Amino acid sequence: MITAHSLTKHFGASTAVDNLTFEVPPGLVTGFLGPNGSGKSTTMRMIMGLDYPDSGSALIGGKPYPELAWPLREVGGLLEAKSFHPARTARNHLRWLALTNDIPLRRVDEVLDQVGLSSVANRRAGKFSLGMSQRLGIAATLLGDPGVLLFDEPVNGLDPEGIRWVRHFLRDLAAGGRTVFVSSHLISEMALTADRLIVIGRGRLIAETSVADFVARSSGGAVKLVTPDAGPFTSALAAIGAEVTHGDCASLTVAGVTTREIGDLAARDGLRIYELTPITASLEDAFMELTQDDVEYRPSTMAAATAAGGKE
Amino acid sequence: MTQAIQRAPLGHYRVKHVVKSEVLKILTLRSTAITVGLTVVVGLLVTALVTNSNLHQGPGYYAGFDPTQNSLAGLIVAGLTGGVFGALLITGEYSSGTIRLSMAATPKRPILLAAKLGVAAAAALTFCELLSFASFFLGQVVLSGGGAPSASLGSPGALRAVVMTGVFIALMALMSFGFGLIFRSTAAAISAFVGIVFVLPLVMHGISERDLRYVPTNILTNSIMSTVNQGPGGILRPLSPAVGLLLMALYATVALTAGAVLFIRRDA
Repeated sequence: MITAHSLTKHFGASTAVDNLTFEVPPGLVTGFLGPNGSGKSTTMRMIMGLDYPDSGSALIGGKPYPELAWPLREVGGLLEAKSFHPARTARNHLRWLALTNDIPLRRVDEVLDQVGLSSVANRRAGKFSLGMSQRLGIAATLLGDPGVLLFDEPVNGLDPEGIRWVRHFLRDLAAGGRTVFVSSHLISEMALTADRLIVIGRGRLIAETSVADFVARSSGGAVKLVTPDAGPFTSALAAIGAEVTHGDCASLTVAGVTTREIGDLAARDGLRIYELTPITASLEDAFMELTQDDVEYRPSTMAAATAAGGKE
Repeated sequence: MTQAIQRAPLGHYRVKHVVKSEVLKILTLRSTAITVGLTVVVGLLVTALVTNSNLHQGPGYYAGFDPTQNSLAGLIVAGLTGGVFGALLITGEYSSGTIRLSMAATPKRPILLAAKLGVAAAAALTFCELLSFASFFLGQVVLSGGGAPSASLGSPGALRAVVMTGVFIALMALMSFGFGLIFRSTAAAISAFVGIVFVLPLVMHGISERDLRYVPTNILTNSIMSTVNQGPGGILRPLSPAVGLLLMALYATVALTAGAVLFIRRDA
């Protein structure tokens, strides 16, 4: 279990993380979603005791990270794609890490096997491809068989096979009862991997929800209704508190009621339905809608147009 | 709550665990072997060349000749490579990102730093003492073989000079380790080290000759390696060996203290 309480961090005049409070429960994959530069990495670094918060706290199992007795046996963190010395072999990299927390050295070969790097264990890690580096980073998180795992953008730069591998891996870890916290700026990736979402923009919490709720909430649960009886339908729907918008011809957009309620209403009043479709926003739409005011770096099309036009 | 998936041992990580890990880190870097090999070969070569250049001179040449100081000339090389290596022990971790992993593994930064510094100091001291003695014996073999005056460890001040030279070079490496902590970048740390150790004396020479005796390289050659007080008297007189060594220890302590405070307080 990871808990962040009123976590705040400034870099100079800019606020990287702004009063962030959330929980990451065990047994689930919790996605940490936000545009680039929204403070995901800074938050993860504060959870792992690397950056100091200006105020607030981040706890792991109720303790601040620096108070953990055997950090690598309690938390595994992959915060950078490459955090090994390029001249060291993969095996030696994991060996020094194991020694710090008195982890038996047989674990080194076990985790290398687990991530599929056994055959290159004695190769210098500097020669590794991005995918292999990422696997080595994941191997390092597994050394102490920790109950809490953090991954910052673990699929960045991976090929489709590697992405699939990471996805299954994260799900397996959570299925084993572990707390898995994984950040991404790719909503589609999170949809496939995560059970829950913590969405932030400009360092502020936007939503803490399940993936299904996230979509439903953003689309507002609207329903498309096509009927030749638009008139009576509109008044009947208004009577039960629905909000009806007229489209072209016989098409209505109804908000505030479920498809089931509309069906019941039709049966009661003998109204005809040609089509009844819940309107589900895509995850991207939902994400864009939630974060549109919170993107820090956005190309200004107006400015670009003016600049181009102004040049004679 | 998360259940313990693997039973952790009682207690918590300690300095001894981090020390083992730091020893492995040093032993598994090729740059360690390269630095050690280069320093031994070039250092001893310099000693052989310097002592050899003092052979077969006229009788007047050897008045005030210091065979001990002569035979330690190669240690200047160790002063340079030691400075580079001391800085790299820290900056190498920052440039590769390993430092974040080290801090995640052992987040109590004073413990991490104590282990790192302890291992670096022990390694530097052992190596520099061995090289200092090797250089001394090599130099004396060359000198006595060529019929020039030579010294033994029993000669006045010889043992003191050999032992102190090793300690002094190790302190120079630790001062550079401190620069590594302060600057976190290899280029900046090595520039600071080379600036203070090798460029500052040149500048000082033009500004204030009397303050030259406080500069590390001058302390090393005139106060530490020397066994005959042949320098000029009065205000230009070199510092005594003890004062010279203490001053170098002070320089190293200042750099390390500033570095330690920043290492513990700064975001990783």
